[in-house]
Amino acid sequence: MKIIVNLDVMMARRKISAGDLAEKIGITPANLSVLKTGKAKAIRFSTLMALCHELKCQPGDLLEFSEDEEEQS
Amino acid sequence: MDWNKDKSTRLTAVFVFLFAVILLAADVFGFIWMPWFVSVSAIKPEHLPFLAATIYTASIFAWICLYTMFRLLSSIREGKVFTEQNSSMLRVISWCCAGASIVFLVSILYYPPFIIISAAAGFMMMIVRVVKNIIQQAIGMKNELDLTV
Repeated sequence: MKIIVNLDVMMARRKISAGDLAEKIGITPANLSVLKTGKAKAIRFSTLMALCHELKCQPGDLLEFSEDEEEQS
Repeated sequence: MDWNKDKSTRLTAVFVFLFAVILLAADVFGFIWMPWFVSVSAIKPEHLPFLAATIYTASIFAWICLYTMFRLLSSIREGKVFTEQNSSMLRVISWCCAGASIVFLVSILYYPPFIIISAAAGFMMMIVRVVKNIIQQAIGMKNELDLTV
């Protein structure tokens, strides 16, 4: 059971690089990488809001709930 | 006076240093003050070697303790506060207190008032252990916070 972060998918769809996105939403590239690789334990609403605003999407487009134990994005 | 974290840490370092100086003096000049202590206290003169054994065994623990505290302070000053290393250093300090407590507990066989020092050291051990447990909880929280984006 886990939350999968589909940030890389959305970034590919919007054709935006990690460095650009990090700069636009005001977090460090290192933190964005933590989020992208699924190592993050929590995401602030402010970060989620900035991501949705920048990528013009909904939180559901970025986060996905999985019942499965093994699956890893 | 403008008081801050850094000055407070430095003050602690000064205390550690002062204590180390006093302990060094006590160790080096033991041959002077121990006979005097025996003469003014209820310790029998033939028990002087026992007193020396107690003091020097406890000194070993005190030196380990002081060295660990000094390392702990320098890592705090470097900004490394909630780390596993610091928590294990606190564990070393707590075991040193426990060691000193046992040394003085054994020493009550020839000088019962040492029970007070034994109790104080034992109490100190518990305090340090509680602080260590707090630090360990904080490490968990910090790890979680570090992975919050």
